[in-house]
Amino acid sequence: MTRAMRRPLVAATGAVLLAATTAACGGGSGGDTEGDGTLSVWIMQGTNPDAEGFFDDVSAAFEEETGATLDVEFVEWGDAHNRFVTSIAGGTTPDVAETGTTWTPEFADAGALAPLDEYVDAAGIGDDLVEGLVEAGTYDEQLYGMPWYAGVRSLVYNTEMFEQAGVEPPTTWAELEDAAAGLKEEYPDKIAVAVPGDAEFTVYPWVWGAGGEVATLDGDTWTSGLDSPESQDGIGFWTGLATEGGYSSTGATTWRETDVLDAFAAGDVGMAVMGSWTPGAIVDANPDMEGKFAAVPIPGKDGGIAPSVLGGSHLSMFETAEDKDLAFTFIEMMTTGEFAQQWGEQSGYFPGQVSLLDETLESTDPLVAPFAQQFVEGGASVPVAPTYGAVQAKLTTSTMMQSILSGDADVAEASKAAAEEMTGVLNGSE
Amino acid sequence: MRPWLLLTPALLVLAVLLLWPLVRVFLFSLQDYGLREITTGEPNWIGTANYAEILTSPELWTVVLPNTVGFAVLSVVGTVAFGTGVAVLLASLGTFWRTVTSSAIMAAWAMPAVTGTYVWIWIFDADRGVFNDVLMGTGLLDEPTNWFTDRWSFYAIVLLNVIHHGFPFVAVTVLAGLLGVPKEMLEAAEMDGAGSFRRFFSIIVPQLRQVFAVVIILSTIWDFKVFAQVYLMPGGAGSNRSVLNLGVWSYVESFGQNRYGFGSAIAVLLTLLLLAITAIYVRTVLAEEER
Repeated sequence: MTRAMRRPLVAATGAVLLAATTAACGGGSGGDTEGDGTLSVWIMQGTNPDAEGFFDDVSAAFEEETGATLDVEFVEWGDAHNRFVTSIAGGTTPDVAETGTTWTPEFADAGALAPLDEYVDAAGIGDDLVEGLVEAGTYDEQLYGMPWYAGVRSLVYNTEMFEQAGVEPPTTWAELEDAAAGLKEEYPDKIAVAVPGDAEFTVYPWVWGAGGEVATLDGDTWTSGLDSPESQDGIGFWTGLATEGGYSSTGATTWRETDVLDAFAAGDVGMAVMGSWTPGAIVDANPDMEGKFAAVPIPGKDGGIAPSVLGGSHLSMFETAEDKDLAFTFIEMMTTGEFAQQWGEQSGYFPGQVSLLDETLESTDPLVAPFAQQFVEGGASVPVAPTYGAVQAKLTTSTMMQSILSGDADVAEASKAAAEEMTGVLNGSE
Repeated sequence: MRPWLLLTPALLVLAVLLLWPLVRVFLFSLQDYGLREITTGEPNWIGTANYAEILTSPELWTVVLPNTVGFAVLSVVGTVAFGTGVAVLLASLGTFWRTVTSSAIMAAWAMPAVTGTYVWIWIFDADRGVFNDVLMGTGLLDEPTNWFTDRWSFYAIVLLNVIHHGFPFVAVTVLAGLLGVPKEMLEAAEMDGAGSFRRFFSIIVPQLRQVFAVVIILSTIWDFKVFAQVYLMPGGAGSNRSVLNLGVWSYVESFGQNRYGFGSAIAVLLTLLLLAITAIYVRTVLAEEER
């Protein structure tokens, strides 16, 4: 996942920066004795605006604790998958790397990752990890991805437009449609609710919210549920807002999440499904929006919270890591406690450790609390299959959305075609 | 013997840099080669199954190939015609204006494909694009239209983009040829009463046959392999299946799915196809030359 969703955050700077490995002055490091070497780490660029400063601190703490040096390399999201594949091929993988949640099962299936269960058990932190991220990092009943951080999508709305139109943030689908109608009446030239055609993670909440499934595993066989009556109900509601209600725009038929963000930041959109990491980007793009938008969890059909994908990253240990205990010491340091909390605060994502989340949950910030509620009560994972990346590459769900939104196919046809394709690709047979 | 001796170092370098990768691609194309094979390093031979899958894919025959071939024909014709027109214009300009015009052309050429594509996307953007604005301002259109969802309008935009990016090369190359056409021949023809069209088609074009051969072959190869200009367009990355072309299709089906063997097979077929086109074209040119 994650490539698309984090693109707005990725700084447009050079391809790969070598982080300062720092602490070169301190003696004692770099010796050849066991457990006293260098740990190479790949971290995705752009999640934390001050990643270098953060890792300077981590390096210092890591060296103090273990005597080993940390060699952090920052990798662009766009290049990362290819770099992983080539380094797997060449046997030059780092010891530890940040892996997007949908990549973890893929690399685990390829035999490149080391299972983490015994380390997690030894450290006694297994029960304190966020469920949705554990699920996404578990392949063949073994944990390959240590939950690090994640974000979640909720319904973000323009408070100024809502007040002007006299509508309330929705808690059911009927209310959502009423709100859209009210917004359209007040602002006929704006987009009441953005229904983007090329943004799969904005679709699944409606599938799940209606009681449908994206795909389920039975034995060894995946079956996509996108064409079940429940799923069609959800997809029909979401696309119907555009095709029947006319609450979206024709341009949105080909929009990605970045386009939604641009339009929302420009003040052209009443409400949209957007990520917990976007508020900062919205204000960056248009400072006038400061304080003029808020979020609510995505409503289920008749109330409650519709599940939404937890998009984030694991820290994974590669099989090539020579000193696996050292590698896990780093992973534990990063994903639990102080550094995990700091990373979350600096990057605007939620940490993967439950006990750290409690504090966030108590927040009253209208741009934190609803997301936190969605994160804890309505977090879900896309199908945890090594082939799910292939489904994403084929843009199966976007194809379905786009054909419905452009009027080329109805919900029944499009969802049936999508379900067939997804089932085929997930099972690795085309 | 000696010529071969002298050529050996160059041939060795070529063999290592070109031939070996080609052989590897061919060997990959006979395997089901994915991430797992990469990690284990073990081959996974499946014979010609990749080729069979490609050649029996309905999507290839009904969507991908028609889009690719149709687009290549139109864009080669468009690029060469427009480029030649600009070359004729340049040839008739004085030094100052020729410098000004060719600098402007060079700017279009120097623009990276990615940047250029985004500019065209902005121009045709449904909500804020200048094209829809003008159409709606003049009353030709009541509501904004999304030009990227329709196969024909999608490729019309790609065509503009590719011609805009490709014509400078043709213009500059043809201009070089034009300047080499003997003035005496043109003057003699003019004395005999040939008009400018007659002079162009009866004297200049035959003189430039080889130049045209080069630009047409190169344009064909480039336009067959168009990727970024389609992939980056809204819906072009695969969510609009009716606009898939060979470049995007092979990327999505092979690299997107970690099926490197399948991708290699597509690459082998594409190479053979382009070799065939080139061979046929070179033969026709040579045959006419001999006549």
